[in-house]
Amino acid sequence: MKEDMTLLREIERYLEGEMSEQEKTAFDTLRHTNPLINKQVEEHQLFLQHLGNYGKRQQLQAKLNHIHHQLDMPSLRKQAQEENQTARRLSIRRRTISNLAAAACIALVTSLSTIAIIQNVSKNKSTAQYEDVRRVLNNIQRSQNALINDMNSKSKAPLNPGTYGGTGFAVSGNGYIVTNYHVVAGADSVYVQNNKGEAFKAISIFEDISSDLAVLKIADSSFKSQPLPYALKPQSVKIGEEVFTMGFPRDEIVYGKGYISAKTGFNGDTTAYQVSIPVNPGNSGAPLLDNKGDVVGIVTGKQTTSDGIAFAVKSAHLKHLLDEMPKDKQTRRDWNHKSRLEGMNRVDQIKKLEDFVYMVKVYN
Amino acid sequence: MKQNQDITRDRELLLGLAKGEDKSLEIIYSENFPVVLRMILQHNGSEDDAKDVFQEAVIVLYEKVQTGDFTLSSRLKTFLYSVCRHLWLKKVQRTFGLYALTPELEEVIPATEALEEHEARDQEFRIMEGAMSNIGQPCQTILEDYYLHKRSMQEIAEKFGYTNAENAKNQKYKCLMRLKKLFFDQYNTSL
Repeated sequence: MKEDMTLLREIERYLEGEMSEQEKTAFDTLRHTNPLINKQVEEHQLFLQHLGNYGKRQQLQAKLNHIHHQLDMPSLRKQAQEENQTARRLSIRRRTISNLAAAACIALVTSLSTIAIIQNVSKNKSTAQYEDVRRVLNNIQRSQNALINDMNSKSKAPLNPGTYGGTGFAVSGNGYIVTNYHVVAGADSVYVQNNKGEAFKAISIFEDISSDLAVLKIADSSFKSQPLPYALKPQSVKIGEEVFTMGFPRDEIVYGKGYISAKTGFNGDTTAYQVSIPVNPGNSGAPLLDNKGDVVGIVTGKQTTSDGIAFAVKSAHLKHLLDEMPKDKQTRRDWNHKSRLEGMNRVDQIKKLEDFVYMVKVYN
Repeated sequence: MKQNQDITRDRELLLGLAKGEDKSLEIIYSENFPVVLRMILQHNGSEDDAKDVFQEAVIVLYEKVQTGDFTLSSRLKTFLYSVCRHLWLKKVQRTFGLYALTPELEEVIPATEALEEHEARDQEFRIMEGAMSNIGQPCQTILEDYYLHKRSMQEIAEKFGYTNAENAKNQKYKCLMRLKKLFFDQYNTSL
């Protein structure tokens, strides 16, 4: 113990340079000869270095603490809290905004697709419920009677019965005929044929898709003009008014009787009436007349989901259409006279009428 | 341009720090502490945590500057901030395990390298500190006064009421031997 202390003292003196030259040389030789002492010296050096580091660091820490005490902690604290709050608020806001954006996108997509689906479904439904009453002609439906008439009259009508058929009626004595647009849509050629079996070639000169009306003109030299027996009644008729129609659901003219059942057409269409009248494919474009023999509408289609519901475009619309037609195609104004059918019984009315109602045959 | 100026200023501050100028230390401390305080508070630390972490970072910086091989490649603020982040990350990991790590803290921190050296030094410091606190109050004061504050044995003898410097010296050696023993016991086992 005592020796250790003496050695330590010597080492310190040696390291601090307190030894005399003589002592130092003696100690150096001792270090060389005795590795144990040498090791002790080195150890002490290392230790002193660590101690020095320790001291420096303690000093530094003291300084730091001193500086720290001088800092204005309350204001720093406040500042830091405020900044953190704003940062947090910002990040919350950012998060909220991105969440909202995502939600909005989803909502948008959902509503758009819902709208699309609903529209699609309702369209399907509507088209399913509404049916144009044009007739798809085929050989079986074609009656022999018409064939014979055809042959007898030797008219130039093609033997082919046509692809589609509808009904049309004259709106002027000189060969203008109104029918439905859907009857003649996409037609290559159109023929009209009256009840006597006389066929004339016609061309479509004016079409109005929105009201589903088309105006045809007979372009055949063999056609002879004759005055119209009926008139057009542009005023709208009342619900319950008795009406009748004549059309070609088959190759023979067919009479049908009914009444106006509503003032709007399919899906609330204000340009049309709902009519309770038996109609069949082929009735499209047939005139709808009242008891006096005035034209009040044009049969266009029927509802498939229930029986006896048909639709007819209002005559006011037809008048409008005829007025709107280009000047060079104007029909003669032979509407304005009083109906010559007034007061007649139905059988005589029909007899007069049937010459002016045509079967429209469409080839495409 | 501005960044370059900042770095120049930062380098001057570091030169001051290397020379042991208190003014530089003070400027560095007061300019950078608020940012670190904010960061630590943001990550659920307390003010004391911020103080500890920041002071440790300054010590790291100081040690680096003292060894003389430190060149500042980024702004001083960035360096201290990343060191603090790293230290805080370690501290959080130690206390809570991996549980409390926020994803932000998991970012790669460039100060790792600087910190490895510091850890060894820090351990040495802890050992010395432990040894110091184990040798008892009078011994500790004598040794600190002599070796760290560079007081003469005469002053120490007077302060502690020894009859002469020689007695005080003997006492010092006794203390020194105890400290050395305690220190090297720990030092050799831990390294």
